[in-house]
Amino acid sequence: MMAIRELKVCLLGDTGVGKSSIVCRFVQDHFDHNISPTIGASFMTKTVPCGNELHKFLIWDTAGQERFHSLAPMYYRGSAAAVIVYDITKQDSFHTLKKWVKELKEHGPENIVMAIAGNKCDLSDLREVPMKDAKEYAESIGAIVVETSAKNAINIEELFQGISRQIPPLDPHENGNNGSIKLGKQTTQTTRRCC
Amino acid sequence: RNYYGGNWASFSFSGLCSWIRENKQKRDVREESDDWRKLILETEEAISLNMKDNTIQHIEYICYANQDLAEDVNEAGALRKLSAFGVSDNGEATQGSEKECQPVESQSLGPESCEVSPESITCNDPESATERSDAEMTSESENLCDATSDESALEKGKMENASTAETAALEPKKITYTQIVIEGRRFNIDLVSKLLYSRGLLIDLLTKSNVSRYAEFKNVTRILAFQEGRVEQVPCSRADVFNSRQLTMVEKRMLMKFLTFCLDYEQHPNEYEDYKEYKFSEYLKTQKLTSNLQHFILHSIAMVSEADSGTIDGLKATKKFLQCLGRYGNTPFLFPLYGQGEIPQCFCRMCAVFGGIYCLRHSVKCLVVDKESGRCKAMIDHFGQRISAKYFVVEDSYFSEKTCTNMCYRQISRAVLITDQSILKTDSDQQISILTVPPEELGLPAIRIIELCSSTMTCMRNTYLVHFTCSSTKTAKEDLEPIVQKLFSLNSETERESENEGGPEKPRVLWALYFNMRDSSGIDKNSYDSLPSNVYVCSGPDCELGSDYAVKQAETIFQEMFPNEEFCPPPPNPEDIIYDGDGTQTEDPGFSNSSNVITKPSPEENSGGDGDSNQFSEEQHEE
Ligand SMILES: Cc1cc2nc3c(=O)[nH]c(=O)nc-3n(C[C@H](O)[C@H](O)[C@H](O)COP(=O)(O)OP(=O)(O)OC[C@H]3O[C@@H](n4cnc5c(N)ncnc54)[C@H](O)[C@@H]3O)c2cc1C
Ligand SMILES: Nc1nc2c(ncn2[C@@H]2O[C@H](COP(=O)(O)OP(=O)(O)O)[C@@H](O)[C@H]2O)c(=O)[nH]1
Ligand SMILES: [Mg+2]
Repeated sequence: MMAIRELKVCLLGDTGVGKSSIVCRFVQDHFDHNISPTIGASFMTKTVPCGNELHKFLIWDTAGQERFHSLAPMYYRGSAAAVIVYDITKQDSFHTLKKWVKELKEHGPENIVMAIAGNKCDLSDLREVPMKDAKEYAESIGAIVVETSAKNAINIEELFQGISRQIPPLDPHENGNNGSIKLGKQTTQTTRRCC
Repeated sequence: RNYYGGNWASFSFSGLCSWIRENKQKRDVREESDDWRKLILETEEAISLNMKDNTIQHIEYICYANQDLAEDVNEAGALRKLSAFGVSDNGEATQGSEKECQPVESQSLGPESCEVSPESITCNDPESATERSDAEMTSESENLCDATSDESALEKGKMENASTAETAALEPKKITYTQIVIEGRRFNIDLVSKLLYSRGLLIDLLTKSNVSRYAEFKNVTRILAFQEGRVEQVPCSRADVFNSRQLTMVEKRMLMKFLTFCLDYEQHPNEYEDYKEYKFSEYLKTQKLTSNLQHFILHSIAMVSEADSGTIDGLKATKKFLQCLGRYGNTPFLFPLYGQGEIPQCFCRMCAVFGGIYCLRHSVKCLVVDKESGRCKAMIDHFGQRISAKYFVVEDSYFSEKTCTNMCYRQISRAVLITDQSILKTDSDQQISILTVPPEELGLPAIRIIELCSSTMTCMRNTYLVHFTCSSTKTAKEDLEPIVQKLFSLNSETERESENEGGPEKPRVLWALYFNMRDSSGIDKNSYDSLPSNVYVCSGPDCELGSDYAVKQAETIFQEMFPNEEFCPPPPNPEDIIYDGDGTQTEDPGFSNSSNVITKPSPEENSGGDGDSNQFSEEQHEE
């Protein structure tokens, strides 16, 4: 049996660049022009094989918080990877991408894998951001970069495969959550009475 | 103000330094523009709000760690910002701040207390934060360079740590101030120090509302007591009591018997009926308990006041403690990973996931009241934007002195120490401990100490973060330094060797912060000067160990506004309904029958025509 590894991936980028659409394409292979805000869903999951492991992505979408730059540090906690999205037809969105990277460096875990997605590459007529710029920038920060189209299902799988490959192999010393407690999952810990 | 969560916030080390600086700044430096007054109609009046928080006083910090002459050290991980999140400083401002935070003397000629002079801070006007974040985007290339060099510094730090990890158990690693600054973002320093009772209201609320999914906890591992100048562990579970080496056989039996009784004391009224009017401390004396055991029960288990807690209070508190034992571990308490400051964020995330909107980085100028109805209609922010609403929940600190004229606030004394060893060394250096120190003089408040180890993600490796809390009688330093001196060595490295021959070596304080915080809990709304009925006041943090007060208050306010709604209901369709690309439902939602309840799609959203408005509904699962 292959080991399943849960990997938290968080999405970042300006409103409207297509973050939710990318997740929707990846997880459901579905695209909707009027994608509704992801009400009620904090993360979605999809499992992909990688070598002799299974990577189960827990993909966190921003729930619209990016609009007011109100992402709490908690959003980044424990992320194995981050997908930072810009819209190739909007120079501005590429500009703010750098700000998201900075934010990530401040609040994100140390060895987070970064992937940059230049989305809406189906609209190349309207392109404002040259691929070269993105490549150079990505290289400078050690990130993966691809141009994607959530609409036409271009490079979406590849984006996540790329992340999978960058995830360092499981460190046997770092065995899970070093004794931290999650509530709610009805911890059926030995209910031992005190006296 | 450049951070959120008010006095519930937590900070990285540099964030805390900026917070210190900001609070020491002169209160009235801002220039007032009256533009917003134009937005108020003739039929309206304004209740102007404080632009600055006045709840923190008497801040003092002292660096005892070696200041190894480092000048331009910065927190690793590109962290060059004021706030715990969000708004960033520009590089210059932070560099300034970091220098300021370093004590003036760079040699360890002994501990040097340093005051920041408000005049020297010109570069850091919180009001200009928004402009700065624009500037910061253009100077990105600069930041990138910094990021890389900072990272290598961090790498180095890590290697050092790793190489000495094995020896750490034998000899405390000498941590310098520079290291603290470089590893600054490993610190998550809470302004309030609390724990969660494992059967307390906050745990119930977190689990019920599913907000708990966003947080992880550690169990507090030890309950400590301080008697005759010695720190010792208090046995409280059955296993602890039997395994205890400090207790005699007789004591073990006495303690077990008494604790067993406390667990259902209501069933045995004859045992305490006659002592109802007595103090709990007096009652304990009448029981078959040694004075050692009386101390444990009174101060470490019941944690009630010797001077004024009655028998019933004490029994109740002991019972509460015992009931919480064993739910998640050997002590009744939990602590959130990354600190208490995670909890508000978890609630915010849940709220956002269900469509709540936070407008951060807006401060509020005033509330607008309709003269005729006397109700509050709107608020005006510092951009001059008017936002209408039906209900207004305002924290106490927002109100101006005028609104609070009749108020007489209590204060909380706080100290935060970064230390190099635990107050009670054991085989494991990863202990989370709580220690209640009874007052020297009867009638004074007890002091609560919570010591956190690095696996709580609140401090760097080889250090401990120690929080002190008591209700104030004087300034925080006056209230707390005497006990700090009893438990720790405040001497610098060099002095240490010569001192303290014989006796066990005390842990050393590397850095210390003292401050007083306003305690606005327990205030009746009517004490505020003429507030409209649809303005609800919530208090800042209280002094208690648990968070029951805040939970009750939130619920009360909510119920007043929405008497027919449930407070923090379980999300009807939680993220467990996460669409799962594998077609396997991994986590059991337990709500599967209501998976279509929450999304109320607008007509446009349905226009896709596939009839499935809820993109996460289970029907969408593929095999
Ligand atoms: C460390 C930490 C990080 C957090 N990160 C985020 C995050 O990224 N995104 C998020 O949505 N929530 C975050 N939160 C949650 C956040 O604290 C609040 O719960 C959320 O912002 C709601 O605001 P509030 O009502 O607590 O107001 P506050 O946070 O108290 O303040 C909101 C606004 O009011 C102003 N203000 C505050 N006090 C006064 C005063 N006395 N007088 C005048 N103006 C005042 C502030 O300047 C601020 O602009 C975080 C909490 C903590 C502890
Ligand atoms: N042409 C095109 N439009 C896209 C693509 N991805 C998203 N969109 C559209 O961009 C808009 C914003 O997408 P959304 O996923 O909500 O962005 P988010 O705010 O980043 O989550 C929607 O109208 C999408 O239909 C794409 O790859 N190509
Ligand atoms: Mg979205």
